[in-house]
Amino acid sequence: MDLLNAETLVRLSSVKLRARAVVDGVLTGLHKSPHQGQSVEFAEHKEYAPGDEIRHLDWKAYGKFDKYYVKRFEHETNLRGLIVIDSSGSMGYRSIAMSKLEVACTLAGALAYLLVRQQDAAGLVVSHGEVVTDLPSRATAGHLPVVLDALDRLTPGGYTDLVRTADQLAEIASRRSLIMIFSDLFDDRAEALKRLLQLRARKNDVAVFHLLDPAELTFPFDDLTLFLSMEDERKLEVNPREIKRSYLTELQAFLSQVRGSCAEADVDYELVRTDERLDSVLLRFLARRQGRQR
Amino acid sequence: MTFANPWMLLGAFAALIPVLVHLFDRRRPRPHPFGAISFVLRSQRRTASRLKLKRLLLYTLRTLILLGLPIALARPQLVRDAQAATASRGAAATAIVLDASMSMQFADRERLFERGREQARQALADLLPDEPATLLLCNAEAQPPPVPDFNRGRLRAAIDGAKPSFGISEMSRCMNFAARALEDSPLPGKRLVVISDLAAHAFRLDLPPPTIQGPKGERIRPEVIVRDAANGAASLPNRAVVDLKIDPSPGGGPRAFQFTFTVRNFSEQPVKDLEAALKISDQVVAKGFLDIPAHGAAKKTLIHTFSSGGAYPGEVSISPDYLPADDRRAFVVHLPRQLQALVVNGEPSPIRYRDEAFFVDAALTAAGSPVQELIRDPESAFREPFDRYDLLFFLNVSAPPPDVARRVIEFVQRGGGLLISMGDRVEPEAYNKLLGAILPRGLRMVKTAVPTEASEPEASAAKIKEVAFDHVLFLPFSGKAREGLTSARFFKYMLLEPAQTSVGSAASSEVLATFDDGAPALAFARRGQGRVLLYTSTVDRDWTDLPLRTSFLPLIQRFGSFLSGSLEERDEAKARVGAMVPLTASAPQAISLVRSPSGAPVPLQKRDDGTAVVGPIAEPGLHQVFNTSGEPIPELSFAAGLEASESDLTRLKPEELSAYFGEETMRASVADAQPQHVPFWTWLIVGAAIAFFLEGVLLRK
Repeated sequence: MDLLNAETLVRLSSVKLRARAVVDGVLTGLHKSPHQGQSVEFAEHKEYAPGDEIRHLDWKAYGKFDKYYVKRFEHETNLRGLIVIDSSGSMGYRSIAMSKLEVACTLAGALAYLLVRQQDAAGLVVSHGEVVTDLPSRATAGHLPVVLDALDRLTPGGYTDLVRTADQLAEIASRRSLIMIFSDLFDDRAEALKRLLQLRARKNDVAVFHLLDPAELTFPFDDLTLFLSMEDERKLEVNPREIKRSYLTELQAFLSQVRGSCAEADVDYELVRTDERLDSVLLRFLARRQGRQR
Repeated sequence: MTFANPWMLLGAFAALIPVLVHLFDRRRPRPHPFGAISFVLRSQRRTASRLKLKRLLLYTLRTLILLGLPIALARPQLVRDAQAATASRGAAATAIVLDASMSMQFADRERLFERGREQARQALADLLPDEPATLLLCNAEAQPPPVPDFNRGRLRAAIDGAKPSFGISEMSRCMNFAARALEDSPLPGKRLVVISDLAAHAFRLDLPPPTIQGPKGERIRPEVIVRDAANGAASLPNRAVVDLKIDPSPGGGPRAFQFTFTVRNFSEQPVKDLEAALKISDQVVAKGFLDIPAHGAAKKTLIHTFSSGGAYPGEVSISPDYLPADDRRAFVVHLPRQLQALVVNGEPSPIRYRDEAFFVDAALTAAGSPVQELIRDPESAFREPFDRYDLLFFLNVSAPPPDVARRVIEFVQRGGGLLISMGDRVEPEAYNKLLGAILPRGLRMVKTAVPTEASEPEASAAKIKEVAFDHVLFLPFSGKAREGLTSARFFKYMLLEPAQTSVGSAASSEVLATFDDGAPALAFARRGQGRVLLYTSTVDRDWTDLPLRTSFLPLIQRFGSFLSGSLEERDEAKARVGAMVPLTASAPQAISLVRSPSGAPVPLQKRDDGTAVVGPIAEPGLHQVFNTSGEPIPELSFAAGLEASESDLTRLKPEELSAYFGEETMRASVADAQPQHVPFWTWLIVGAAIAFFLEGVLLRK
């Protein structure tokens, strides 16, 4: 039995279990921290400067060269991961077993597992129009259940406001964080995505998980349909066959624009169909991360 | 514009369907919360104007399809205005000749006569206001029409009330009548509008075309407009029962009749397995099939045996075609009732096989015999009133007393049948003296061919040598059956006086069989209304062994039928449509009324002697005759047939018409008139198909 498809995962009652199931299918320790910190693995020497840790002075090097050198180490536990989840109403859409939000939570939970398992810090920010949950990044084992419980309680609602979310994230996120954004990016404003990507300029590492339902990608409707907005009062009665071609054109243009903007801003971009295997999504993401570090 | 199937136009209401669907469509859309509604809204905004145009186009195309199809099925034709063609020639007095012959009942979708009426109305409508007109319905009883006038209402009413006949129409004669009516109009222009199916038999092209006497006495040709009721059809295929002959069926018994009818195929195509049926009293009693070559004929014989006497109406028919009136032919068969015969046994015997009437009795009481007999010895027989009998059989009877002989003569004169057979008791002189007035020939003397007591008398006995086998009496005797007659041995027979050449009673006799020495074996004569057969030998074994032969039984039964007249050939279909039919009834059955097959009374002229003449007959089929009490007289009912030539619908060619009327006078000829009807329903079908295709293309977009 394939445990990692959406139909199977949705039967697991909590994000915790889903995340564990996904993580079990993913190889651990695929990435290393790009930042130096406390570790036993020597990285390089640096000439002492006032303010450096005295305890890191390499006395052997002083004996040889008569100069103060400080040891620097490579360390795997010094990453601050911040998971950002868009819980707006549109994220609650589902045409198959799992909604976009449920997929986002599962992926986020799995990543939190991975981070904490490697002694990295994991934090959570949930936003729909404004930030409603803010769990700071911590690497302690006791922090993981807190994050997972918060994910488990998430319900879709509100509206998508990427601009405001980006502004609040800029305040919340410390520098050099890995910000993983899970959203459908359905914000009509032209500057919305740009503002979000500006987080990269603040020396953060940003990854965008763009979640879309298969029905949103293929528009498989035939009969006369009254489309209702999931975030506001908008509605439209339309014959889907008449506008299908135009819809798909619009959507492809949107996807191209998002993909292009992410590439331009040096932001990792993952288009996630809610009907694909989630371990594949994570492996793809992790493999790309590893490639970037080399 | 005209429509062949105008009722189809009702289907044009279907064009309202798109409007009604648009107005009353209450389909409820399925509500569906959707995350990417922004894209849906954007797409809808972008395509709104295009969709609006597409919907409008779809609506228009669907309406055109639903409107075009019923109109196309109504088969519209554009009628070109003929008035423009005629107006340029100035006002002309017009006579419209409408063919009302039976052939105009030809109906391929629509009856030709209905088209002809429509064309007559059109011709009337095409007239200029200052053109007077008259109308002639051309049938067998056509008379010169009135002088052209301006009473259009009367002409329209006459056209509306016109009906096709079952008779022939002579269009040439009718055109002459119409031309004569035009002579009386003061207008210088004269015009003949001829509306016909152009069946060739109606036009006498060997006669000069119709002319009109001009003001100076010269003959001028009127302008002729020929309107083809058949719309220029190349041919009008038709099959018809053109002849019917009813004969007694040889070998089928006294009440078996054979109905031989001829079917002609007046078309270019041969006909295979054409079903033919014989109906008696509304019951189909026999069926058959015919193969008829193109422009050929085929005969079919169907046989039916009637169970009893009486008048039987019936018809032979073939599968109906476009002209059903000539696909059947009615008849009435009159069968005599059971015949009553008084058999006078001249030599009764207590030993049955020696009795003179033994073999005759066996023959007349056999199954299927048309004769019911009463056998008496002469003394008691002569006391019987002869009026109660149809036939008298004198078997070896000595000459009757004079008063009885007178009664016998009266019996024959009034229509009775008499058979006289010879024997030892017959005295030639007494017979000649007392019954000579009715005998076919006088009796002379008995000839002994060979004495019966001679050894092997059969070897030198006389035989019948010549028999009139083509006579109705001997029709059943064919093939080996003839041997039964010709092999019989005759030891004695009565010689007859030679035929008299002078005009008299004996001159009308005929000999139907002779012995090998030329002496008559059977002589026949009509006397008054009756018949007499004289058989010159015996009906027992005294003079011949014929009674032992198989042919004796049918021969005696045929004698009975023949003497009563029931073997006569019957041509029941003598009455023709358009002809007069004489009827004769006995006094108690005075004729008062004759009804046609449709129930209409037929003109009847009664005469003082009880006879009547019916006609002219207007309809084919069974005509019933009623007496003064209103009861039908079955024996006088008769069937009328159609003129076979009217079934031949071979059409005149346009060039023949042009040559006949002259190119100058026949301006609006068949060729000119033909394009006046421009069918455009095919274009409508093509248009609807294109609209359908475009709708499909639009739907895919």
